[in-house]
Amino acid sequence: MNQHQPTIIRDRTPVSDAVLTLHDVKVHYPVKEGLLQSVTGHVRAVDGVDLTIGRGQTLGLVGESGCGKTTLGRVIAGLVEPTGGDLWVNLTAEQQRDVDRLRAVEPASMTAADRAAWQSLQTGHRLGSMSRENQRAYRRNCQVVFQDSFASLNPRQLVRDIVGRPLRVHQGLSGDRLNAKVGELLDMVGLGSQHMYRYPHQFSGGQRQRISIARALALNPEFVVLDEPTSALDVSVQAQILNLLVDLQGELGLTYLFITHDLGVVQHLSTTIAVMYLGQIAEYGPTDLVFNDPLHPYTRILRDSNPSLDGENDATEWELTGSVPNPISPPHGCRLHPRCPVARAECGWSVDDVLTDIEDRAPLLFETISRVERQDDFTADVTFDTEVSARAFADRLQASRAHDAVDRPLEIADATVSVSFREVPDATLQQLREGRLTSCTRTQNLGALPPIHETRR
Amino acid sequence: MADSTLLTVEDLSVHFSTSRGTAHAVDRVSFSIEKGETLALVGETGCGKSVTARSILKLVPEPPGRYASGSIRLANPDGSSTDMLAAPMREVRAIRGERISMIFQDPGKALNPALTIGRQLAEVFGEHRLGMILERAGLDPDKARPTARRIAQQRAGATRRRVYSLTNRVTSRALQRSIDEAVMAALADTGIPNTRKIMASYPHELSGGMKQRVMIAQALACDPDLLVADEPTTALDVTIQARILELIHEMQQRRGTAILYITHDLSIVRQFADRVAVMYAGRIVESGRAIDVLTAPQHPYTQGLLAAIPRPGTPRGQLEAIPGSVPQLIDPPAQCHFASRCKWAAPACSAAVPRLLAVRPMHETACFRYESAESVGMPQEDMPARIHHEGATAE
Repeated sequence: MNQHQPTIIRDRTPVSDAVLTLHDVKVHYPVKEGLLQSVTGHVRAVDGVDLTIGRGQTLGLVGESGCGKTTLGRVIAGLVEPTGGDLWVNLTAEQQRDVDRLRAVEPASMTAADRAAWQSLQTGHRLGSMSRENQRAYRRNCQVVFQDSFASLNPRQLVRDIVGRPLRVHQGLSGDRLNAKVGELLDMVGLGSQHMYRYPHQFSGGQRQRISIARALALNPEFVVLDEPTSALDVSVQAQILNLLVDLQGELGLTYLFITHDLGVVQHLSTTIAVMYLGQIAEYGPTDLVFNDPLHPYTRILRDSNPSLDGENDATEWELTGSVPNPISPPHGCRLHPRCPVARAECGWSVDDVLTDIEDRAPLLFETISRVERQDDFTADVTFDTEVSARAFADRLQASRAHDAVDRPLEIADATVSVSFREVPDATLQQLREGRLTSCTRTQNLGALPPIHETRR
Repeated sequence: MADSTLLTVEDLSVHFSTSRGTAHAVDRVSFSIEKGETLALVGETGCGKSVTARSILKLVPEPPGRYASGSIRLANPDGSSTDMLAAPMREVRAIRGERISMIFQDPGKALNPALTIGRQLAEVFGEHRLGMILERAGLDPDKARPTARRIAQQRAGATRRRVYSLTNRVTSRALQRSIDEAVMAALADTGIPNTRKIMASYPHELSGGMKQRVMIAQALACDPDLLVADEPTTALDVTIQARILELIHEMQQRRGTAILYITHDLSIVRQFADRVAVMYAGRIVESGRAIDVLTAPQHPYTQGLLAAIPRPGTPRGQLEAIPGSVPQLIDPPAQCHFASRCKWAAPACSAAVPRLLAVRPMHETACFRYESAESVGMPQEDMPARIHHEGATAE
């Protein structure tokens, strides 16, 4: 599964001492259809994610439902096998640079020293090719707290068995020593050892989440994946849990990956955030900077849509249009562009964008399409029932933003319109400023978020 | 009842019998809603806000539920009023959907998965706008044949519809067109693109935001006077939430509908509500204009709730959490339910239920800290530290 084809090396600042480094991680689920269950496509749940999680950091992973944040969390916790890419564990800054360099080199053209270094990195740090002990150590070291504490705690086990299970399996504890350790853990999360002989249903939501946290901390992990731990809780209880998480982090020196859709919570808790959209990271950077000065239109929209108590973002023009595209065939170029308020010619328009647009906004016109003949995703001949419809389509297209991206004028012959867009490579996450990465092509070119009011060329 | 008042809830109590005793889900709640205004009912899980909302439409299942006391009076155009709790079921049914309608939290569960969107919405028109549907199809509402009526009401079986369409080709088409047009207009009103495609879809084919739009179309189809929205955006993403809220607001502006907005999210309230009532453990503990309650909360619970929300300025890990958890509502003692979590609690708080007291114009709170020992009839040393307020001087 080695990814040795030369890929674009994305600019990144190596974090000194990373708990986890992700390279181009992909999770594609096959879509099967028909009697023979043949694979007709792939749902790209996670589609090429590069991410570094530094030791002691709290990385917030935000995005809307269906953007792949939970899947990515499960990959990191080792619960889902990635279908592509590598996960590297415990790399120092130097090793990160080595990995970045060696990934781009063909194995055949490596020098002997490089080959040895690559080999030792593979067996020592890469999830999947690590030795069994290292793999087991990673499992101990990386724990998860799940969103739904009802579903993640066995209703037929006592709290003692739930929290004690990892201790039994990994440390062989039993009897009084186990009880003492479980009591200690329960005290640590603010529950008290008197709760040891109760069942999960006897607790409130907040208390159950404390039990989940106690279980996650049983093996003294360094790294905890928190998958929406407070989204099922009321604010007053959420505040208790968030405070507890921060206290524990200070006490135990934990690294957190905090997955959530709640921007208020992520802003409060995380030091760095990664914003995900449709399986990819749209923006990455220090939390305060990302919130105060977003470098991706999607981040700006998320921030402005979040209702605030102080009423800062009441009137905003930053809105998404349309609905989330199909993750089986995501848009070309930048994945946000069909919905983006500041998208322009360079954002990667294709035939599908135009067709989806008229399907939603001009359904009657859409129904008159009789045939679409594609050369590729960017070039196609669209045939209509009548010439009038074809003209209406051409007019519509000419008035739209997508028309700026055509590489030759529309040709109308009888009822057929030939469309051809400039081919644009897929947007990649690039470093724009120190520690600030964005995948927005226009922001990368302008050096700042494009203004929402500008005259179209 | 003042002329401008649409709905008055007085002294409403809803109890549920459980194997462990009687749960007092809603405990002597009173409030009113003016025509065209938005009242937000805010509270955490289990505080009784949804039961209150459902009571207004008399939707609480009996048993186990029981309306233990109170009245819910809806003002009629002729100046009289109907008590939803006392009225015969036939009248209640006529009011549901027609004058008061509801949007539920989870549109995925509230829509019928076995019917297309078009058919579900057609049911609304068949139920409440039968005359209009028949008239537009060129039929005389008083003389239309029973089969035509049943088809318009979506109550005819497949065979009957088929036979009718074969024997009365023209009328059948006109009828279907009339139904479709009404449904399409209702859907288009909520900003749904491509209404024809949506009508032919089943709920599972639509996204959460789209389903909620369908729910809104369904709820507002008959121009109700009051819309009860029970956490309509909780299951949605923020970007969608913003647009659904905008939509509800815009529809309200256009039609003058009053809204009872049930939510646990105080940050939505500021943008969206005229007045707020905060509920805790089955009772209203504070009510007033939204801006007053949010900027100058009076009840310790409201203060705690606002302080617990993470804001940009809060130092990391130092949120002001309210200690403890919500008390059991089964056979609760007569006391302030917040006493066990309140930092100002005094013996008086565990001895009696505080009344809602006006502490400022249009701002009421139920807390002993605003009461004098004499007015409550308790010894001075049992009272919590007193706060003097504008309301007291006015008395």
